[in-house]
Amino acid sequence: MNNQDLVFLSATELANKIREKQISPVEVVKAYLDRIAVVDPKLNAYITVLADEALVAAHEAETDITSGLNKGPLHGVPVGVKDQIHTEGIRTSSASRIRSDFVPDVDAAVVSGLRKSGAIILGKLNMTEFAMGDPITSAFGVTRNPWDLSRSPGTSSTGSGAATASFMCASSLGEDTGGSVRGPAANCGLVGIRPSWGRVSRYGVDGASWSLDTIGPISRTVEDCALTLGAIAGYDRRDQYTKDVPVPDYGAALTGDVSGLKVGLIKEFLDPDVMGVTEPVRQGVLDAARLLVSLGAEVEETSLPLAQVAGVASRIISSVERSSLHPEWLRNRPDDLHHNTRVAFTAGELVPSSVYYKAQKLRTMVRRQALEAFERFDILAMPIASEPATIMDLRPGIPSKQAAVRALTEGSYRGLFSMVSGPALSICCGFSTDGARKLPLALQIAGRPFDETTVLNVAYAYEQNTNWHLERPPELN
Amino acid sequence: MPELNDDDIRVLAKAVNLDIQDSDITDVKHSLNAMLDAIESIDPEGINGIEPLPVIFQTGD
Repeated sequence: MNNQDLVFLSATELANKIREKQISPVEVVKAYLDRIAVVDPKLNAYITVLADEALVAAHEAETDITSGLNKGPLHGVPVGVKDQIHTEGIRTSSASRIRSDFVPDVDAAVVSGLRKSGAIILGKLNMTEFAMGDPITSAFGVTRNPWDLSRSPGTSSTGSGAATASFMCASSLGEDTGGSVRGPAANCGLVGIRPSWGRVSRYGVDGASWSLDTIGPISRTVEDCALTLGAIAGYDRRDQYTKDVPVPDYGAALTGDVSGLKVGLIKEFLDPDVMGVTEPVRQGVLDAARLLVSLGAEVEETSLPLAQVAGVASRIISSVERSSLHPEWLRNRPDDLHHNTRVAFTAGELVPSSVYYKAQKLRTMVRRQALEAFERFDILAMPIASEPATIMDLRPGIPSKQAAVRALTEGSYRGLFSMVSGPALSICCGFSTDGARKLPLALQIAGRPFDETTVLNVAYAYEQNTNWHLERPPELN
Repeated sequence: MPELNDDDIRVLAKAVNLDIQDSDITDVKHSLNAMLDAIESIDPEGINGIEPLPVIFQTGD
């Protein structure tokens, strides 16, 4: 195999070959750095590339492995990390001018987890400013979607999606408040899981919304996603909301057996007249459901009437919680914020408490309805968005109140499971075409709180019986 | 709920000690009016009996 082709191996394949001493982590890191040098100028997925640090770590990994020391399942595998996740001694900017000089003293818990499992941190990935939902706000420039440079890579973990899809890292971490792992995974044709709230420590991660934030992997395959999640999951006393429950071996749970599994398809999100789903997305999800039936799963439609309001409620909650984190920025450094970020922070500050309370009440009701459905179904499934990746409007501003209402409504596709607080995964379920460009479609699979294993296994069964994960974006050389 | 206008936005901002820029007012107004309108139109049965708590780990989790 040509060294430049190493980047096209999955993280799991890389880990196995490194462990078996068939390839060197130094070769792997060099291949990724070469790839980044060629591709990233087109995509702008990285804020900071840690070339020297990654090469030092790769040499250490090579020495360890040669001497028979295996640090863990990701030993020698290069991983990218979203730039709101703290890295000791390395700038962590949250893609903002305000934090552009911030260098943390300590690694985030998830970075420690990656390092303990042997992963090599290849760099810090671009994102939207302070993890807002608008793709154009990064102080380090807009990240492009490798499938179509004019389209959004999905927010807010823009760089995590773009870098992973374009083979500039083997796997990555994002942060999901209202869909920021699942959205980029969907737009870029990847696998991304928002873990249960409390499954992964948020210690050392710049917050977006305390009651909704989760850290999750964005990967090219389900196995890679399981491998990466296993490295970061678990109780951490430094995050009071992590739950002290055992972390399963996610990789071992990938049997591909879904026979007898009960899958509920949420019909409101498959009805164009209710939530505006487009035909390619609808067909992709229905085809995926048929495939699961052929594998022995029992699939039936189910109704979650309150799911339609999840976007409004979750966006109001995150808007208020986000703006309350650092009110001084809006007052002392307003000109250092992107216009759209400043507008969002300001609007969040002006939301009346009665409205925030009502959104929290709705959250409770939506969550109850979903948990009741999980008494009848092992898995709930639906699209991740009404349409594939959209063309980015690079002009700042909100065109109209109606446009803002549409964004709130569209937020229900991802906000639903953010509010349920169980795991939700996005996986590619086909492609639509727009001119010469292929655009990924995505299926969302959600499970009961702390049942990531079933979610991952259903995704694995689907992936093993399709070839979507083998598709590559057009080359950007 | 009546639409908030530019002056309303200025007054609300002043109440929270925020010196809002003129160039931001229209977009803040769109965003805030969207949230207020959208949530006002949602009134599911039983909402008044629900506690407004962001409870994460509930019985049965």
